[in-house]
Amino acid sequence: MDIWNILEYAAWALSALFGALMLIDLLKVDTTYDNDLLTSSREGEIEATAERHTI
Amino acid sequence: MAYKPPKQSLAGQIFDVFVLLVLTVGALYIPLYMGLAGAAKTPQPIANPTWEALGQNATEQQQWAALGITDPAAASDIITARFDYSFSWVALIVMAVFVIGYFVMVVRLSDKEYREVIEERFGPKR
Amino acid sequence: MANVTSTAAPERLQLLRVLGPAHVWALGVGIVLVGEYMGWNFSVGKGGMIAGLVACWVAGLLYTCVAMIDSEVTSTVAAAGGQYAQAKHIVGPLMAFNVGLFLVMAYTMLEAANAITVGFLLDTVAGMLGHSGLNQKPFIILAVMFLAWLNYRGVLATLTFNLVITAIAFVSIIVLFISVQFGGSAVPLDFSAITSDPLPYGWVGIVAALHFGLWYYLGIEGTCQAAEEVRSPARSLPYGTMAGIMTLLIAATLTWYVCSGLIPWEYLGQAGTPLFDAARVTGSTGLMMLLFVGTTFATLASANGCINDASRAWFSMGRDRYLPSWFGAVHPTYRTPYRSIVFLVPIALIFALGAPLDQVVTFSILSGLLGYTFMTFNMVMFRKKWPLDSIKRGYVHPFHPIPALLLLVLCATAYVAVFLGYGTQLIAMMCFYIVASLWFHFWRYRFVKRGDQFTMPWPRPNGY
Repeated sequence: MDIWNILEYAAWALSALFGALMLIDLLKVDTTYDNDLLTSSREGEIEATAERHTI
Repeated sequence: MAYKPPKQSLAGQIFDVFVLLVLTVGALYIPLYMGLAGAAKTPQPIANPTWEALGQNATEQQQWAALGITDPAAASDIITARFDYSFSWVALIVMAVFVIGYFVMVVRLSDKEYREVIEERFGPKR
Repeated sequence: MANVTSTAAPERLQLLRVLGPAHVWALGVGIVLVGEYMGWNFSVGKGGMIAGLVACWVAGLLYTCVAMIDSEVTSTVAAAGGQYAQAKHIVGPLMAFNVGLFLVMAYTMLEAANAITVGFLLDTVAGMLGHSGLNQKPFIILAVMFLAWLNYRGVLATLTFNLVITAIAFVSIIVLFISVQFGGSAVPLDFSAITSDPLPYGWVGIVAALHFGLWYYLGIEGTCQAAEEVRSPARSLPYGTMAGIMTLLIAATLTWYVCSGLIPWEYLGQAGTPLFDAARVTGSTGLMMLLFVGTTFATLASANGCINDASRAWFSMGRDRYLPSWFGAVHPTYRTPYRSIVFLVPIALIFALGAPLDQVVTFSILSGLLGYTFMTFNMVMFRKKWPLDSIKRGYVHPFHPIPALLLLVLCATAYVAVFLGYGTQLIAMMCFYIVASLWFHFWRYRFVKRGDQFTMPWPRPNGY
């Protein structure tokens, strides 16, 4: 059991932590907000407002 | 008349993603399982390797030493290894047909779909 | 409306537009710079020292064309899907689906390759410090998880992080070059192999070398994926992309020079970490430390950029229902495509933990190459359907159609280069894309709304 073994365990633990943080937040957001709102993003919003590409 | 896509069930959505995944993993692993993957170098060892016989000058010998290799015999395999670039023209043509055929197919089918999109967006062709 | 950051949920969720040209540079160069730290040197192995340099510059030319073409189109089609959205507007839906797959494959595979490299590096260092048999898996998983989490939490922090570590990795190469040039190395530079053994494989070696010459620059086109998140896409994207390709041309040439001078080409051709090895040859502990840090940072920056780009492409396809629309979601607080980011984590891990490195990298290179081939006719069609006087472009590249034609010739050469040694993979991958295309055309496309796919405020294309 040297420093590298400890690092291995630390890496496992941190991986689990980051994974859990993401999953918990994902579940929280998906249950709090309406799916129609979450998927309301549309391509071309910038063009519709700021950059019309007209000469 | 705008095209109305059918609603896809959740199971159908999951299945579609699954199909793509299987295709991807298959493309990656099938060449591996068939043992067809990768190009290998083969060493062509020479008898009694010395630095001189291997064509390494004084500076290069110093560099080998700095990389932790002081024995010319140990470096011999690395130095004499060569790729084999002999290939068959038939295989090259098969490859060319695959790549060109693929792009032709995709562009032609795309064009068919694209005309529909333009017509729905801008109205019938003038 | 672009900068809505209040906690009250707005009516429409959009990706957050906060990035400047420096972030675009960091995204482009960050993904690519790892190629200078490892991988490019196999081109020296495939054709010798001169072939390595020729490949470096020929590939540089190829990517300059890519950068010019991409800058023009993407400064006009500012969408998160990048080349995917370009294809959708210019060539058609099936091409767009394929381009989307190229992007996701190229970046996810590259991300996996980077994670594998992180594990390999740590194993090497542990070995040098007297611990053999390090379990690489937790470190591979940690690298992917941490970067995915960073991406999940917001694009500004992600790319600012990328800017810092990419800059450090780039400066490391410069420092190594300067120290070696001014006698900081215990062993002198030696280029005698150029005269004594110029082309060990003859001219075919130069063609073969091009395969790995692409590694110097592979991924610079990823700047396009930031389009929906930069403050002023028409200005920042061309600027960041062009600055990126210039940085890479400098870094690539310096890398070739230092490594070829310090390492016998036979060793260089099969080395795992060439710049780190060059630092070892100099005998300076300081340089060794610096280049170790540089290698690690370059790898992480690349994986980070890949997660960013792959998730944007996946997200865009979900938004258009090319994939289940579930993926087209934006996080209400962080404004990132969070579902796509999370979904791609296990995919990257399957490849990182299960497949050998050269397989993964070849798949990535080939997907990239197919994407560049697409750019050639995409550019020609773009100018044809919308001539210069029909819509305003943020940037117009010079000498059209020479860059497009040159790119096509170079792509054809690169296919032959890949064919020399990796022909089976090429065929396997073509089969994959053909089957996927048929699946999309005959099944998946029925779920896509037709007219809604065309989102740009452009006039009707010429000839349609």
